[in-house]
Amino acid sequence: MTTSSDSDDERNRFDKARRNFLRGLGLGGAAAVAQPAWGGATFSDAFADFFQQQYKRMTPEEIDAALERIERKAERRYGAVINCDNTQAQPGVVFGYAINISRCKGYRDCVNACVEENNLGRDSQVQYIRVLQMNNGDANLEHSEHYYDPAEVPVEGKYYMPVQCMQCDDPPCVKACPVEATWMEPDGIVVVDYDWCIGCRYCMTACPYWARHFNWTEPEIPAEEMNPDTHYLGNRPRPKGVVEKCHFCIQRTRKGRQPACMEACPTGARIFGNLLDADSEIRYVLANKQVYRLKEDLGTEPKFWYFSD
Amino acid sequence: MSQSGDLIVSKKRACMPSVSLVPETSLTKTRRRTLAAGLLVLLLSANAQEGEEALPPLRFEGYPGAPDFDVVPRKDQLFLYPCGQCHESMESNAEIRTLDVMLHPELEHAEGRIWCLSCHGLENRNYLRTLLNEPVDFDQADLVCGGCHASRHRDWTFGAHGKRVANWQGERTLYSCAHCHNPHSPAIEPRAPRDAPPVRAGLELKRGVERKEVPVWERQEEDEQ
Repeated sequence: MTTSSDSDDERNRFDKARRNFLRGLGLGGAAAVAQPAWGGATFSDAFADFFQQQYKRMTPEEIDAALERIERKAERRYGAVINCDNTQAQPGVVFGYAINISRCKGYRDCVNACVEENNLGRDSQVQYIRVLQMNNGDANLEHSEHYYDPAEVPVEGKYYMPVQCMQCDDPPCVKACPVEATWMEPDGIVVVDYDWCIGCRYCMTACPYWARHFNWTEPEIPAEEMNPDTHYLGNRPRPKGVVEKCHFCIQRTRKGRQPACMEACPTGARIFGNLLDADSEIRYVLANKQVYRLKEDLGTEPKFWYFSD
Repeated sequence: MSQSGDLIVSKKRACMPSVSLVPETSLTKTRRRTLAAGLLVLLLSANAQEGEEALPPLRFEGYPGAPDFDVVPRKDQLFLYPCGQCHESMESNAEIRTLDVMLHPELEHAEGRIWCLSCHGLENRNYLRTLLNEPVDFDQADLVCGGCHASRHRDWTFGAHGKRVANWQGERTLYSCAHCHNPHSPAIEPRAPRDAPPVRAGLELKRGVERKEVPVWERQEEDEQ
């Protein structure tokens, strides 16, 4: 149903976009001349970045050097002093998550906390958590709405279901990656080596949960909002053109802290803990509540449960 | 206990102000009445007795195998505590009746099945009471709530309800019931959500189009009809 005014609009928009594009070419050319060489890095850093190995193949010395380069790069790129570490998985720990959907009220405080904690670009469209607004008595995800924005939540007749990376125990994204830039850590977190990722986005198509996100733009983060506690496999500043995902706040949880989304949740709907510890809260939930997993029939074995009570 | 408790409470204020949302609104309600009755309180608090001996904390071991935990204290956040500073000098009246008293919040809990002295002690004015009429400190208020809401209390003790402070590992500190639920009006009030996520590039609404198109599944239903 295209009216003449619609097509005029389209044409105007196209003309404007073309003008902007041409102008951008000119400006880009000027900027390329004005920018320092090596993308703002020193020659030695750019050289070392180019020959950096995959995370699991690096020696401890090479990892330390890479961490220092990441810190230097963040200072040059964002003007923020960060500390990037490489805390290893604790032995005897496998993380699991549960969400009580009868507690979730759709406030999106978790999304907000996640963006701040994980240095997600403020302008980019990457958000690790999507809170789905669902119709009562309906579990069909195609009927969900995640752009909901009423004056007050919860809305009558709706319930809310946050969706993020399920940290599958048999992750299809890992199988899809052609360069082994993503893998499952011993504590069950599926991580990405952002420096090894080639940006092919096969993992995004393999993931049935819309949990992986692609950085179409260089993430923009104001220096004062940069979270300085970062992890190599977690929330360190990512380059443009790589895939990233929820990593259960690896920089926090490996040190015993709660994930940022859980700490921010005002209703206590989120429960996180060690699946191997029989006395943990998550194990109590799994043993005593009617839990289900999203798209369980796909056999990806998510370590992420939903329940209501 | 009280020193570490202060630490925890201040941490809570720093990291999650939204939890105390409900109690705060009731506070503003009471604060309005405070202006009118401020002088009365000043006069009465001068008579309040000091140095009263604290009763021993109530022991509850109803859930075998429950992991240990501390509860974030809340007494220092209570506006009118200690209750005795007024009520010690007032005649006590155990007759069940409707009260509309200055300063105190209205009771919108259990739809009229309970009244003040169902939870507050008559003999020990600075304490709450269980259904067995045992005095309970205000920092152990969960034992009062658990008297009726037993399954919730059990879930809370084991970690399936309520919130744990800061960590998943190590020392376990829980927010008490009243940190999130106003005991006098326990339903959580609706509030505005945070910003909606940005619409993905290429999926924006056309200019001049206010409403989203009818979703596919609704269109299909129309077609079938």
